[in-house]
Amino acid sequence: MTTTAETHTGHDASHAHDDHDHKPGFFVRWFFSTNHKDIGILYLIFAIFAGVVGGAMSGLIRAELAAPEIQVLTEFTSETKLVDAVNGTCPADAVVKGDQCEVTRTDTEREISAKNFYNVLITYHGLIMIFFLVMPALIGGFGNFFVPIMIGAPDMAFPRMNNISFWLYVASGTLLMLSLLAPSYGSELGYGGGWVLYPPLSTSTTGPAMDLLIVSLHLAGASSILGAINFITTIFNMRAPGMTLHKMPLFAWSVLVTAFLLVLSLPVLAGAITMLLTDRMFDTAFFDATRGGDPVLYQHLFWFFGHPEVYILILPAFGIISHIVSTFSKKPIFGYLGMAYAMVAIGFVGFIVWAHHMYTVGLSVDMKAYFVAATMVIAVPTGIKIFSWIATMWGGSIEFKTPMVWAIGFIFLFTVGGVTGVLLANAGIDHYMHDTYYVVAHFHYVLSLGAVFGIFAAWYYWHEKMFGRPYSEFLGQLHFWTMFVGVNLIFFPQHFLGMQGMPRRYVDYPEGFAYWNYISTVGYVVMAIGLLVWVIVELDAFVLRRNRKAQDNPWGEGAKTLEWTLPSPPPYHQFNELPKIK
Amino acid sequence: MKAIIGIATALFTLIAADAALAQEAASTISAGEDVPIDKAITLREAASPIAVEVHSFHNAILLPVMVGISLFVLGLLVWVVLRYNRKANPNAKQFSHNTLVEVIWTGIPIFILIIIAVPSFDLLYLQDKMPDGQVNEYEAGTRAAAFPNDFAPSRKVTKERHLEVSLVDQANGAVTTLTADDYDVEGFGDEELIITLANPVPDGSRLRIIGGRSRMGQKPVLGLFGKDESQIIPEPTVTIKATGFQWGWTYSYPDFNDFEFDALIAPRDSVPSHLYRLATTNDVVVPAGETIRLVTTARDVIHAWAIPAFAVKIDSIPGRLNETWFYTEKEGTYYGQCSEICGIDHAFMPISVKVVSREEFEVWVDQQLIDNGLEPTFSGADQLAEAAPAAPAAVN
Repeated sequence: MTTTAETHTGHDASHAHDDHDHKPGFFVRWFFSTNHKDIGILYLIFAIFAGVVGGAMSGLIRAELAAPEIQVLTEFTSETKLVDAVNGTCPADAVVKGDQCEVTRTDTEREISAKNFYNVLITYHGLIMIFFLVMPALIGGFGNFFVPIMIGAPDMAFPRMNNISFWLYVASGTLLMLSLLAPSYGSELGYGGGWVLYPPLSTSTTGPAMDLLIVSLHLAGASSILGAINFITTIFNMRAPGMTLHKMPLFAWSVLVTAFLLVLSLPVLAGAITMLLTDRMFDTAFFDATRGGDPVLYQHLFWFFGHPEVYILILPAFGIISHIVSTFSKKPIFGYLGMAYAMVAIGFVGFIVWAHHMYTVGLSVDMKAYFVAATMVIAVPTGIKIFSWIATMWGGSIEFKTPMVWAIGFIFLFTVGGVTGVLLANAGIDHYMHDTYYVVAHFHYVLSLGAVFGIFAAWYYWHEKMFGRPYSEFLGQLHFWTMFVGVNLIFFPQHFLGMQGMPRRYVDYPEGFAYWNYISTVGYVVMAIGLLVWVIVELDAFVLRRNRKAQDNPWGEGAKTLEWTLPSPPPYHQFNELPKIK
Repeated sequence: MKAIIGIATALFTLIAADAALAQEAASTISAGEDVPIDKAITLREAASPIAVEVHSFHNAILLPVMVGISLFVLGLLVWVVLRYNRKANPNAKQFSHNTLVEVIWTGIPIFILIIIAVPSFDLLYLQDKMPDGQVNEYEAGTRAAAFPNDFAPSRKVTKERHLEVSLVDQANGAVTTLTADDYDVEGFGDEELIITLANPVPDGSRLRIIGGRSRMGQKPVLGLFGKDESQIIPEPTVTIKATGFQWGWTYSYPDFNDFEFDALIAPRDSVPSHLYRLATTNDVVVPAGETIRLVTTARDVIHAWAIPAFAVKIDSIPGRLNETWFYTEKEGTYYGQCSEICGIDHAFMPISVKVVSREEFEVWVDQQLIDNGLEPTFSGADQLAEAAPAAPAAVN
């Protein structure tokens, strides 16, 4: 791979006239934005908001699980309720509100609300982290900002569609929040049946929370499909002269594969949740066993989307890690073509392994055997990636700047999450581990510690480039180490809980699971401190260092992709004259 | 503001909780109670031959492979960090290909996956195929025993490991397993096997032959290392139907006039604190040393029936009847929990299985039948004798 720009950059071309950028006014710029970099920033802001909400939810979950019994979430339930007045009078201790009385709820009533609230938390935590944190950050944020620059394009192929993609996401997020505030089970707010929305649980609740959730996912899906079409078109048609697919930076490769996964898998999700919606609202019976439907059909459809989805979440991080490792080792990426096609292979195989999420639904044994074999195959391209990253470092002259320590952390933690994935691929042992905390530990190792570490690695790697603000190296390192200790403390003990058989999605558990749950909650506190350090990093960068001059390329000779040939932050329009790639 | 106070209170509760947890005299676990062990970092103790297989697959194959790979990657990372940092290696090499190592790191993982896959498929098929071992007993004096080999074509007895030949002392029930030197087998794969003993069955003993492909338990790892304590699991003798509902289980015994009962979570004050959220109002009672067929479905939403000690987990889905099985020789009470989110009280619909002797089981079944207004099945020694496996006629 080579991406050395031969000729001019946007900056060089811009000295003809000073206001070359033609930045629109604030409102038009940020609300009607068609500029890929602005949209990228908007996605990142969106992801940060979502991350705060989703992270706060996980805080409540861990607080509740710190010890047996239901104790924390009851504090968040309503103390009173309204009941109709009997014969026009209220009980003595009740407050009269029109023809209703406000009476104190019993402890039991509040406990029921707390149990529901817990289920709501785990459901929305999952949905928010997947759809509104990782996807917008990696694909919408870094993808939008850097894919056009990396391939030497002035912008995305369809800038207005890009704008629609983003604002559909905002609409989708709004609906999700509304759903959180709408009744579902009786008068309890929010849908609490897990992010997978399995019927008949999802079809049996009567309130509008579930319907809002379905529409929210429809919009998120539409947004992602539009975004994916945009990426595919951009990457296929707008690469700079000389940049063949086999010279394209790996991050662009990863986004290309991800975009194909999105385009192929999301329509299936849309179909599945549309059937849910019609089952709920229009009396169809796709998933209603009493009328000839089958709840398991939904699971097949959902996981046909759901498994590619996990690769959608992690592939862009793979691309980013490759660049970071190469930059700080001052070496070209080892086995570039193998790396690119390993991602293609992971994407392809990702479509034919979905039922490994369903080993306990009663599949025939031969079918399970097939899914075991297919799933284990994924370990091979994943192994190629891990070893190629290490080989990229091998013989290098490594500088351990903040993005690099995040990347090394990513490689190790993703390996740990990967090997437990191989374990879970085996149906024989999944019959034991299925739906236990072992699974929770596994997918948080690959997502919370994989994708999120990838996001932070990218954030620090491109911080100066995107915002024109350097950050404090010391604080960045501090952020990494507190987070690293924190997340491991949260999730490693969960393997032990799973091995002892603790089922997931449990608001309360027997005494025998108390110790590791407590440790896990302590880990959350450490991680939360890490996130506070991150806030300080940003305050420091944006307030104290606001007058510091940003370098075009702070990383030196190792950073070879096109974004480092542009000023930091890049001009509003770059590559008015296309770079030529040798 | 209320919420903030709420969070603050909650956090203080948490800090206090750990101290309280340590001080609170936790109720002690009594023998025969299968409960999660605090601070444990292992799988829940195995109570059935198939769970032993799951454990051995995990402990002997998966865990070493997982730890090995993780440490290998960690070691490589530590090495590059120490050896190839900027100070130690100021000038970076610029190679980007090495066909040999690329072939190696593609080939070796494939090899490791095959090592995992072989026992994995064995385990999967053992779990998923209902055991079909046939138990036949022969009188003292038998020299050559005829064993019907009338299994489905894919399940026929075709080799030594599909048979288990033993002598049962009629006085104390002690079982002496015979080795292949003590007998000869003719007719592998045919309709009937003839097992000829070196010495006739002595007086006071019976010959027991178990045939079938459902051999499981402690086996040598990858067929190479370790002891073999596997046994052939017989076909099921009792069927239980578990129906999940929000939030509890209905169990019925179709073999015994379909009597049924509900099992809900046992109230907090009715059980020791370590059993709360595990114990139920009614245990499922099954006989030890017999294979139990479990069929399960659900009345409202999806639930999942699970007992970790038996390595059993199966979804209970409305409109479907899923089947699994378990077998244990250890008497005791085994606990599991609903393992598919099913609404508000998902965490409060435990599963408990009490394994008792055949005699206690029969007494219990009769009591259940009487409680349900049905005729008792087992009362009286005559019926007990009738229920024992019939001895087929010996050859010669």
